[in-house]
Amino acid sequence: MNPSLDITGDVCPMTFVKVKMALQKIAPSGQLNVMLREEALKNVISSLKAEGHKVILTERRDTVFLLEVEKNAAGA
Amino acid sequence: MNEADYKELKKGGMMRQKEAGLFSVRLHVVGGQLTAGQLRAIEEAADRFGRGTVHLTSRQGVEIPFVPTDSLAALKEFLSRSGVGVGVCGPTVRTVTACQGCRVCPSGAIDSPALADAVDRQFYGKPVPHKFKVGISGCANNCIKAEENDIGIKGFVQPRWSGNACTFCNISEAVCPTKVVRIPEDSGSVEAVDLAGCIGCGDCIEACPSGAMAEESRGYQIFAGGKFGRIPSLGKKILGILRTPEEVVAAIAAVVDFFRAHGKAKERFGATLRRTGLPALEINIKERMVRNP
Repeated sequence: MNPSLDITGDVCPMTFVKVKMALQKIAPSGQLNVMLREEALKNVISSLKAEGHKVILTERRDTVFLLEVEKNAAGA
Repeated sequence: MNEADYKELKKGGMMRQKEAGLFSVRLHVVGGQLTAGQLRAIEEAADRFGRGTVHLTSRQGVEIPFVPTDSLAALKEFLSRSGVGVGVCGPTVRTVTACQGCRVCPSGAIDSPALADAVDRQFYGKPVPHKFKVGISGCANNCIKAEENDIGIKGFVQPRWSGNACTFCNISEAVCPTKVVRIPEDSGSVEAVDLAGCIGCGDCIEACPSGAMAEESRGYQIFAGGKFGRIPSLGKKILGILRTPEEVVAAIAAVVDFFRAHGKAKERFGATLRRTGLPALEINIKERMVRNP
């Protein structure tokens, strides 16, 4: 079971800050589930992609999206 | 000095002030860019010929106010020696405004200052029926407010969807601000973006987790006939997405000639367009661009 993070109650830039902090506790290539609202999608995903992480699976429940983030292999 | 003299001075960027015998002198600024050397010259000029102040205009220009009539010639001479041009007013092509563009701004899709230079070189100060303003925004965020200009330009990022890479997560649909992304049910279809309503912001590309939504190309979206002033009206989208700065300059040349042919004195370009209709302009531009590609 992946560790999971709920940022549905947060706004930019705390959304990505929290994702970043959660990823720090995860080993390289490890996974994190992130639950977020539609408004945070673009910034969170583009920031994750820019840092070399992969968003490998997504699922939608109404206006809440579930992302499965795979941390980059460098572990940075 | 008679009214005709004042008018001539105004065309050359020397604006009569409320108080007789004083002028606010407009400088030539392109896309809001000045070198530190030019700024030092402007500083000295404001001290020597004005009252030590400058005014930053609403369209990225600089004026030196409180210059006495008998200092105008000396100021002009001083500025020209220092590499600072004097501006224009009256029925001419005015200051070309621009953002910092893709060389500086992370959002920039086009090199707006370079395009501003090209437009300025060809059109600045040229006579037209009424004042004519060009503004260039590097992306859909539109910091320069393209639609307030007689000709406005915006950088445009065109997305392309590849079904075989798509995970059908619907994220690009969710982030699209104009809701023109419709991901098809199956990967065999090709069209996922209704480009007619696309503003070229690139959000769908940025948000797509799988890379299925990718950048197809970058280009220039053109708006015509906008103004602000007493009765504001926004410019309308014309032509498709242009691909090169050369195409943009050619399109503006066609627009300026169209305005010269159909515009009346004291009539802004938007009013001319309301008389002729947009299609007349677009047909004219396209014919010209086909003749001189």
